[in-house]
Amino acid sequence: MLEALCLTKAFGPVHALDQFTLVAEPGEIVGLVGHNGAGKTTFANVVSGLLRPDGGRIRVNGKAPRAARRLLGLAPQHLALYPTATPRETLRLFGGLYGLRRRSLALAVDEIAESLRITGFLDRRVGVLSGGQQRRVQAAAAMVHRPSLLLLDEPTAGVDPETRQSLLHAVRARAEQGAAVVYTTHYLPELTELGASIAVARHGRIISRGSASELLDGLPGEVRLAFDDEEVRVPTTDPAATLARMLTGTTKAVRGVDLRQPTLDDLYRSVAHAR
Amino acid sequence: MRADTARRLTLLVRHNMVLRLRDPGHLVSYLVMPMVLMLVFSPLYQAALPGGGRAQAVIGMLVMFSVLSLSVVGTALLTERTWRTWNRLRASPASGVEMLVGKALPVFALLVLQQGLLLLFGSQVVGMPVTGTFALVLLAVCVWSFALLAIGVALAGFVRSHGELAAVSDVGALAVSALGGALAPISMMPAWAQALAPLSPGYWAVAMLGAAVSGDTGTVLRTALVLALVGVAAGALACFRIGRGIGDLRG
Repeated sequence: MLEALCLTKAFGPVHALDQFTLVAEPGEIVGLVGHNGAGKTTFANVVSGLLRPDGGRIRVNGKAPRAARRLLGLAPQHLALYPTATPRETLRLFGGLYGLRRRSLALAVDEIAESLRITGFLDRRVGVLSGGQQRRVQAAAAMVHRPSLLLLDEPTAGVDPETRQSLLHAVRARAEQGAAVVYTTHYLPELTELGASIAVARHGRIISRGSASELLDGLPGEVRLAFDDEEVRVPTTDPAATLARMLTGTTKAVRGVDLRQPTLDDLYRSVAHAR
Repeated sequence: MRADTARRLTLLVRHNMVLRLRDPGHLVSYLVMPMVLMLVFSPLYQAALPGGGRAQAVIGMLVMFSVLSLSVVGTALLTERTWRTWNRLRASPASGVEMLVGKALPVFALLVLQQGLLLLFGSQVVGMPVTGTFALVLLAVCVWSFALLAIGVALAGFVRSHGELAAVSDVGALAVSALGGALAPISMMPAWAQALAPLSPGYWAVAMLGAAVSGDTGTVLRTALVLALVGVAAGALACFRIGRGIGDLRG
C-alpha cells in the first residue's frame, strides 16, 4: 500500500510537487495522468527514494521510502538498461539485489520472462533489441521480485500494440496478486483496459481522483449528425435528448448518426486545460 | 544485514566485471601500446641513463599508460550516467557505498592486472632488473591503482560527456606523466619543471614503482603514503559528488 500525503518538492522557483496526495491500496491500479510537468515523474522519483521531498509524508506498507526499497518496483520513464548485458543478466541482477536467491531467482526470471514474452531473447544483448523489447525488459526488471508497490512511469511509451498488450496483462496480473500499482501514462484507453482508478495531476497536485465512471459523470459527450452537404457536432451531457431535439428540428436527410459518450480523453482535456 | 550487503556486493562486482570484459578495447590498447613503446625507447633510455635506462623505459611507460587508463575508470561510471542505470540502481536496495565499491573493484582489479602485466613484460622482455620483493611491488601497484581509481571516479562525477572525459583524461594524463618524470627523467627536465614535479601524482608513482622494483622499502612507504592521501582526497570528493546523485532527476 502506498500513502503519499501532502508532498512538496521545489526545484528553485518551480514547485514540481505542491501538496501532492495519492493513496494506492493493495490490488489497486491508480492511473496517474497529467500534462508534461504536472509532477508525475517527480512523484515517482520521490516515492522511489531518488529525490528527497521538501515536505509531506510517504509510507509504503507503513515504511519510509528508503526502508521500503525492497518492496518497490520501478520502471522509470526513460530506458535505464545495460546495453551490453542480456535481459537474463539484467533480471538476475535486479532480482538478486531485491533479495531473490538461487532457485527462487531462476523461477522468478522465467516467470516474468514468460509473462512479458521476453523468453525468446533472454540471452541476446539488450543493446540489439528493439525499443519495444527493451521496454518489456525494463518492466520485467521492475516486476521480477514481485514488489508490493509497482511504479510504472509511461511504460508503454513508443511501443507497438502487441508489446502494450503484454505489458498491460502483466500489470493486471501483479495487481491481482495484491500489488498496489501507480501507472503513469498519456494513453488513457490503457487505464480503461486496466480497470484503473484515475488521479489527474496538474501543477504538482492531484486535482481530481476517482473511478473512470465517477470522473466522467457530467462531462459532455457528443452527438454527430451527417447530412449530404455537412456534418454537425454538438457537445452534450445528454446525448439521447440532444439527438431527439436535433432530429426534430431538421428537414434535411440524415446520412449518419453517432452518439459519443465522454471518454477519458475528454476528462483529460477538460481538467488539464481548466484555468 | 551483513550477509545481504555481501551478497549485493558480489552481484554488483560480478555484473560490472562482465560489463568491463565485454568492452576490453581500451584495456587491450593500453597494454599493447606501452609494451611496444618500452621496446622502442629502451635503447634510447639506456644510452641516456646508464644503469637505469631499462627501469625508466618500463616504469615511465607504465605510469603514462596507467594514467591514460583514467579514461577507463571514468568511462565505467559515465556510462552508468548516460545509460541512466545509476539512478535505477539507487532505487534498489543497494546502498551508495555498495554501488560504488561494486563498480570500482572490477576496475581496480583490471588496473592492477594491467600494471602487473606491464611489469612482468618489462622484467622478462625488456630486461628491467627487479630486486624488490613481490609483496613490495604489489603494494606499490595497488596504491597507485587506488589513487588512479579515486581520481578517475572523481573526474567522472564532474564531467558531463564522454568527450569532456576524453579531453580531461588525455591532456591530464600527458601533463601528469610528463611532469612526473614518466617520459624524461626528472634530473633532465628544466628547473621550473623539476620544481613543479612533486605536484604531479605521476612523480610519486614513478618514484614509488622505481623504489619497489629496486627493493627500497622506505621510499616505497613514503611515496605510497602521499599517493594514498591523494586517493583518499579524490575518493572523498567522488563520494560527495556521487552521493548527491548523478544525472538529472527533475521531471
